[in-house]
Amino acid sequence: MSDRSAKAHTSVTDRVRALGPRRIAALAGCLLLLAPPLYLSSFWLQTGLFAMVAVIAAIGLNLLVGTAGQLSLGHAFFLAVGAYGYTWLADDTHRSGTADLSGLGLPPLLAFVAAVLLAGVAGAAFSPLSGRLRGMYLGVATLALIFFGHHAMLNAESYTGGFNGRTVPEMEILGLSLGDADDGLAVLGVPFGGLERLWYFGLVLVAVAALAARNLLKGRPGRALGALRDSEVAAAVMGVPAARYRAAAFTVSSMYAGAAGALLALAAQRVVPDYFSLLLSMDMLAMIVIGGLGSVAGAAAGAVFVSVLPQLLAHYSDALPLVVSAGSAEPGLGSADAARFLYGAALVLTLVFAPGGLVSLRGGRAARALRGLPRPRRPAPTLPSTSPQPSAGATTGGDTLKEHTP
Amino acid sequence: MNRRKFLAAAAAATSLAVVLAGCSTKGGESAATTDKSGIKTGPGITKDKISVGVLTDLSGPVAPLGKSALQAEQLYLKQVNVAGGVCGRTIELVVRDHGLDVQKAVAAYAEIEPQIAALGQLSGSAQTAALLDGIEKDKLQSIQIGASGTVLGKPHLRLMASTYDIDMVNGVGFLVKAAKLKKGDKVGHVYVEGEYGGNAAEGAEFAAKKAGLTLVAQTVKPTDKDLTAQVTALRAAGVKAIVFSGVPAQTASLVGVAAATGLKVPVLASAPAYVPQLLATPAKPALEKMLYVASPWPALSVDTPSVKKLVDDYTKAYPKDPVNQAAQAGNAAGSLLVGTLKAACEAKDLSRDGISKALRSLTAYAEGFHEPQNFSDPAKASSTKTYIAQPAAGVPGGMKQIQDATEDPWLAEYLAAHGG
Repeated sequence: MSDRSAKAHTSVTDRVRALGPRRIAALAGCLLLLAPPLYLSSFWLQTGLFAMVAVIAAIGLNLLVGTAGQLSLGHAFFLAVGAYGYTWLADDTHRSGTADLSGLGLPPLLAFVAAVLLAGVAGAAFSPLSGRLRGMYLGVATLALIFFGHHAMLNAESYTGGFNGRTVPEMEILGLSLGDADDGLAVLGVPFGGLERLWYFGLVLVAVAALAARNLLKGRPGRALGALRDSEVAAAVMGVPAARYRAAAFTVSSMYAGAAGALLALAAQRVVPDYFSLLLSMDMLAMIVIGGLGSVAGAAAGAVFVSVLPQLLAHYSDALPLVVSAGSAEPGLGSADAARFLYGAALVLTLVFAPGGLVSLRGGRAARALRGLPRPRRPAPTLPSTSPQPSAGATTGGDTLKEHTP
Repeated sequence: MNRRKFLAAAAAATSLAVVLAGCSTKGGESAATTDKSGIKTGPGITKDKISVGVLTDLSGPVAPLGKSALQAEQLYLKQVNVAGGVCGRTIELVVRDHGLDVQKAVAAYAEIEPQIAALGQLSGSAQTAALLDGIEKDKLQSIQIGASGTVLGKPHLRLMASTYDIDMVNGVGFLVKAAKLKKGDKVGHVYVEGEYGGNAAEGAEFAAKKAGLTLVAQTVKPTDKDLTAQVTALRAAGVKAIVFSGVPAQTASLVGVAAATGLKVPVLASAPAYVPQLLATPAKPALEKMLYVASPWPALSVDTPSVKKLVDDYTKAYPKDPVNQAAQAGNAAGSLLVGTLKAACEAKDLSRDGISKALRSLTAYAEGFHEPQNFSDPAKASSTKTYIAQPAAGVPGGMKQIQDATEDPWLAEYLAAHGG
């Protein structure tokens, strides 16, 4: 194509070309994400919203574990702070059954932001520990948060409603309710209830969370945290204050968890203490390991995989071989057990064949990984893709915590 | 590269088309209609089928109990379906397993709610709590397996038989007589933190106050296995009896350690604290001598025809699974469901509202419960009577009945004070 004809054409085609296939595919994906509320039943929307919660929480946890090399087993606690924080801030003081519940009655959107900040404050309050402890030691220390949180949720009844939890007030943005309001809102003939509306709110949150994390990782803080993870001494020599950066990573990560918790509360419509167990923290760690440590896209992929897989299996258990639906008298594997086996298998396969997580399995790399060939860490575009670089492969093959994908 | 670009562009165009086409078939919910015989129908009702949901634990910590309860209900409904069903329709269960995971329970509820007429079995207290609002919003009549009085008062959530606190008031009344307790006597009170223990403790504290007993309280966590420290404290306090609401493993430890250290006093336990499997532990002799269980259900070894039928049918259908109290609850849930649907059919209203009205019209329903139950008020337990049984090897359910369904004289005052 000559210069002249390019000038003659409108710049639109040029722009489209400049986007490149990946960008176009990403754009298509984004467009597709807008469609589900028009087509899917409330079950899939709820599953999707839970997946979005997992994505936000996993991106946040990945900043801490994947980038900063710190471990946290207590992230369920920060989800709880976000969820109960939003509920308490947005709800009015009222009496429910036999319990008096307190609340501030703030506008919901303000309460949401405040809940995220509250989770950040809770994370910052933990900074004397999170700044000084490293890796596994921090993990053990954060374990205590889970038990403290559970005790508090059960006993601070006027804030949390105790064991039976409390109803979550609906989100409202500029007068538009995101709950099951009876205002007859319909798009293209499809009545839009609470879940349909929340879907878009969730999408916006995921987009903001992903963009913020990307910028953070690409900027100075991300590089500083990566340096800290790989060598504290070297980082300190370069002028990175270790304790401050670690504490900051923990705080930011807990704010992500707070946002995820508040969205979880909105999606579930009622918060109860049992959501926020140690199991949730473990699931989140599994998500980022499966997805790929240190990468935003990996965290998102892992989160979707872990949170949607059991639902898919339960829903299609009738159509799958060897899997039987719950309560069936036929011999076979219950769908919940099957999901657990697959989940375990995915974790093991990921660690063995793709220590970089799902995100490293793009295109031809997957096949090579399965063949177990040593591979370049970041193959330069000019190199023939099959040329092995044993030394680079050997340094990245085993240690997942050091894998820092772009 | 051009090829890839083309593919990507094609994908983008397709997705755009899909989004904009809006050829969705979603929406246009089927409103309540009326069938040929003039019966009003609602979600989950077709011309030959009534779909009923079950949300229970089949893969988590209490899976064995969930399985027993489900099998008993399936068995009961099978018999009803073979005999012609209800309203000319067969009843089919839509079962989902939440594995005692709150999030899974919420997702599974969202999945099955549009296709069911009622929730025939809902188990797990935290899972129930998480669904309280959804059930009320959808007006979905639900039958809960579990007996914590704290969820009473929700119009569409039905508890069966007596609750933990009622059993404790009645049980302490029994204990006062059996152990010949006097005013001022000290009684040990061991219970797990949380909903079940807390609810039972309310009843025990009230009854103890009325009888003039001094409670020596010890709380434990559900995960605690060894209760030696608690027993030591109770022995030091010189207790004459022990009231206990915990999990089975703790019962074995509590009674076993107490007997071994010479604290041979009667122990009154809530129903969830005992399973027949405890008789296979070294604590067996002590359990048979010291333990009393306050239960909303009759012991499975009693000679009542309705209980015998359940035990025989269940053993025949599931020879590998021991019959237990969960099977009783499941059987009762099935029976209550069928009774409700029959009443709704008579009133010619199988819509969700019709079904809950029908359930509330059952004021003396005994089928499957062995004692007449009053389901008219959602804020009240359907029964105020408690059975007392003792562990015994070699009989169905591993218990022999000591006292038939009885209401303690103080119970009325307790219920008045607790607004239920």
